[in-house]
Amino acid sequence: MTLPLAMHMANSLLDVPVAAVTIVLAAAAVAISAARAQKSLEAEKLPLMGVMGAFVFAAQMINFTLPGMPGTSGHLGGGVLLGILLGPAAGIITITSILIVQCLIFQDGGLLALGCNVINIGVVPCLAGWWLYRTVLGRGACPPAWRQYAAAWAACLVGVTGGAGLVPIQAYMADRLVIPVTHFLAVMVGVHLVIGAIEGVVTFAILAYLRQVKPAYLSVQAASEPVKLSRKAVAISFLITAFLLAGVASWFASTYPDGLEWSLERNYGGASTALRQPTEGAQAADKTQARYALMPDYSRRAAPLGSVAPDSNGGRSGEGSWPTAKGWTSLAGVTGTGVTLLVIYIVSLLLRRRRRDRGRQATENAEG
Amino acid sequence: MHHSYIDSFSQGDSPIHRLDARAKLLAVIAYTVVLVSFSRYALAVLVPMTIAPLAMLWLGGVPVRFALRRVLVLSPFIAALCLFSPLYDRSAQSGFFGPWQFTVTGGWLSAGSIAAKFTLEVLAITALTCTTPFALLLEAMRKLRMPKFLVMQLGFLYRYIFLLIDEAMRIRRARDFRGARGAPLSRRLAAAGGIIGSLFVRTVERSERVYAAMCIRGYRGEPHALSRLHFRAADAIFLTAVAGYLLLCRWGYAVIAH
Repeated sequence: MTLPLAMHMANSLLDVPVAAVTIVLAAAAVAISAARAQKSLEAEKLPLMGVMGAFVFAAQMINFTLPGMPGTSGHLGGGVLLGILLGPAAGIITITSILIVQCLIFQDGGLLALGCNVINIGVVPCLAGWWLYRTVLGRGACPPAWRQYAAAWAACLVGVTGGAGLVPIQAYMADRLVIPVTHFLAVMVGVHLVIGAIEGVVTFAILAYLRQVKPAYLSVQAASEPVKLSRKAVAISFLITAFLLAGVASWFASTYPDGLEWSLERNYGGASTALRQPTEGAQAADKTQARYALMPDYSRRAAPLGSVAPDSNGGRSGEGSWPTAKGWTSLAGVTGTGVTLLVIYIVSLLLRRRRRDRGRQATENAEG
Repeated sequence: MHHSYIDSFSQGDSPIHRLDARAKLLAVIAYTVVLVSFSRYALAVLVPMTIAPLAMLWLGGVPVRFALRRVLVLSPFIAALCLFSPLYDRSAQSGFFGPWQFTVTGGWLSAGSIAAKFTLEVLAITALTCTTPFALLLEAMRKLRMPKFLVMQLGFLYRYIFLLIDEAMRIRRARDFRGARGAPLSRRLAAAGGIIGSLFVRTVERSERVYAAMCIRGYRGEPHALSRLHFRAADAIFLTAVAGYLLLCRWGYAVIAH
């Protein structure tokens, strides 16, 4: 969404077998979709998919500035929206034609990466998004606004993130990646959770407009007045996104030690030999932290507060205790996000009050 | 925005322009396959691979600068990957350039390899699309047995993309003139939703009008077009030369080393 190019798989991250397999899979998906679309669409809708592809390019021109990130602006990605509005078969055909034009005319995404891109950007968002949207919306003829929002949000979140999450996996299978796959995955999933949530909000805005103007496209009852959505629904959805972000990202990140530590351990035989022994002061500080930190190294304390756990050498237990340790790590991530959000909220409240005071002072001065 | 923005070179005339679109498409696909088949540390062996796209651009009268600017526009994602790989891969790799042998960090080699492959791929596709009108490229795809249905959608997409982008840019300008920047976020998002939604409705109705126009012009389920593609001796020579060049690039080093 904000980075429309970020999701495109590049040729440089592929090898021939992975490219061949993904191209065959994508070709099968496109063939099935083409047959289905030709059968299910009325004849006068024949040019629809190509013209819709042009619509997606045009819709991406409608940008909007995002709060909290001055200078950046977002725009619609459109994959999930197409899946919802046209159905998965026509959606996949539309996105495939978009990807081919992007590859040939805008040189975005490589020729051999087309198979990967069709799967990641077309098949997964269209199928998963369409199915989730239908399931969450239910069969009622007049679903409430919050339900339609929840359906659009869930569809975009899962569709966008699922597709993007496949990029590191494909690059890993092709053995073209020196970055550990879990790190790449954590970054891709993390970034696309945010992108997916924003995409969900915009997709809902479009669906709400269409529901009012052309309810036949959505097979729901027309809304007599503009669809109003409570702020609470948006706030809850973003809270859930933030917690997912923290949980998933820290879970993935914890499966590998920190990148620098990892490369040190691999190439210089462990951090202890590469780094000089820490000074006494640092050691003392380390000990104090190990004694009183609630979650040393982002996991549950192994010893009661005030004493050091037997295995306190970095606190990192090996692969053996995988499930429990990782569970605690993601809990720590979630708690950390909660605390961070709270702090940001309080700071913004304070700032707002201060600005208001200053504004009042300014008007008083002007009047006086 | 007009077709000439990207199509300004494809209407020209040169030995490359006169080649059959099928031959050029197949050559670029083969080039890409060979490019992708190099390992993640391959860098010096990619040097001969630069000759073909540059030669095609030069013979086709396309400024190399124009092609390289495309690389810069598209590279942030690749740049991020390149920047991070030296941090992760510290293994020592022996590199060679001609007679010189040296040892480098694997991360730098792979960063260079990713960037070089990306650049070469963009150059090759630019060389293809800047010397071939898109309509001929579509015809080549149809002749090479790509599903007709998909090729037809590609034709529609290419025909309407600039029209709709122009329309969207006009709407955007109108919105910005009306001072949408100061509005609260929820209103701005609702406005974007309304704009895109109405664009969607108009697009669906436009596609129905397009179909009606096609029917009037005699469309009965099969697209008719005069074929402008002719496979000549020059195309056969071109394809053979490309095949020989690619084989030399891929396995020439191994042969010389033995």
